Amino acid sequence: MDFTNIDFDQLFGLNDETNPIMMLIWIVPIIIFVFYGQRIQLAITSGEIKKGIKKLEDYKTQSRNELIDYIKKNMNPKDDPTKKIDRFLDYFTIMPVDMDPNGIVSKVRHIVRAREDYSREHVKLLSPQTSDLELTKIQTLLEIATSLQMIYKVINHLYLTAKKQNNYPLILPLQMILPFILEEAEAMHKAIPAFKMGQPIGDGIGPMVVGKMMLDTKKESIAFQTVLSEIQYDGRKLFLLKAEGPGSTVGRPGDAVESIISKNKPDIIIMVDAALKMEGEESATIAQGFGAAIGGIGTERFQIEDIATKNNIPIFAIVIKQSVKEAITLMTKEIADKADNVRLQIYEMIHDNTKSGQSVLLIGVGNTMGVPQ
Amino acid sequence: MFTKEKTIFAYTVEKCNKCNLERKRKFQIGDVLFTETSKCDSCNGITVIEKIFGETIGK
Repeated sequence: MDFTNIDFDQLFGLNDETNPIMMLIWIVPIIIFVFYGQRIQLAITSGEIKKGIKKLEDYKTQSRNELIDYIKKNMNPKDDPTKKIDRFLDYFTIMPVDMDPNGIVSKVRHIVRAREDYSREHVKLLSPQTSDLELTKIQTLLEIATSLQMIYKVINHLYLTAKKQNNYPLILPLQMILPFILEEAEAMHKAIPAFKMGQPIGDGIGPMVVGKMMLDTKKESIAFQTVLSEIQYDGRKLFLLKAEGPGSTVGRPGDAVESIISKNKPDIIIMVDAALKMEGEESATIAQGFGAAIGGIGTERFQIEDIATKNNIPIFAIVIKQSVKEAITLMTKEIADKADNVRLQIYEMIHDNTKSGQSVLLIGVGNTMGVPQ
Repeated sequence: MFTKEKTIFAYTVEKCNKCNLERKRKFQIGDVLFTETSKCDSCNGITVIEKIFGETIGK
């Protein structure tokens, strides 16, 4: 049989315009896609989103169970903490009205701190003899579990709303945003073991660098969960500041900077922090720049920028680039290996920007889990 | 389906302050950075935990 001589026109009846079967074969799918195209797309997309939501649900359930198990094992509470923990997980925060943004930063700070204080006190009530170190770990695990619960609820709500309304355009933004949400949720879920075991995380590189410089110095508590010490370096006075380790906390650097500057005005401020790398950028690369290198909700950064501006103090930054996952999970070897290099760059920066007799405020920004001083 | 499952193992690096000898071992619960751990194998110095990190091993 000769396959090179096939006549496709004849095979599909393309020349025969009166063939009703061929007309149906071509026209019926077009009609179906015109009227039901969006529903078909909705069904296909729904399948993918459902898988993502199932993952989010697993992360939520596992983080809750791990938190409860950890509390039972390490706090030895008198009563079963499950009910109380479930109530904590459902807590929400209502951000202040921003129609008039004047003074909103202090309002946000007040609300966030009130929430932190409340959860700390109430976690402590489960077993009052719990150490501060354990308490900070449990508070962080609670934050992770609460965030994962909130993410699951919001994504599930958007999905069910789109399904209920049979509305394909409504599901599109969800389909676009879901991979990013899943990446963050997975990072949070994978962060749990590091916090349970008290291991340093990628975000702790700033405190790790400054913490080593603080060893064998006299430390004083300058703000809540924040410590300060002074050293001399090549004729310069260095004020070293970091969150109080080895607990899981970022401290209150804003309050600490305000307190330090009210007593001793430094000539420059250097902030060392982990920063999110862009896609394609190599992990654990070090970059220098200007401005307050500090993440979070923005209140601490506002406070530091405000006081530095009022006192005309330049702020320099050294950041160690990493992904979201690297920042909140166990510190990678690549990041840990950069600690000495960062320290050298700090000394170089001090030499380049100050003279003998001047003073420098060096801040190690980040979560100090597993990093003492 | 084709992505390799990756496992992260935690390691602790101890460094002798006297002879700078470094020793890498598996992380143990209770290991904290900058704390003194044991006597150095090669001299009489004290080793201090220098680094704690994770390394990914693909299965």
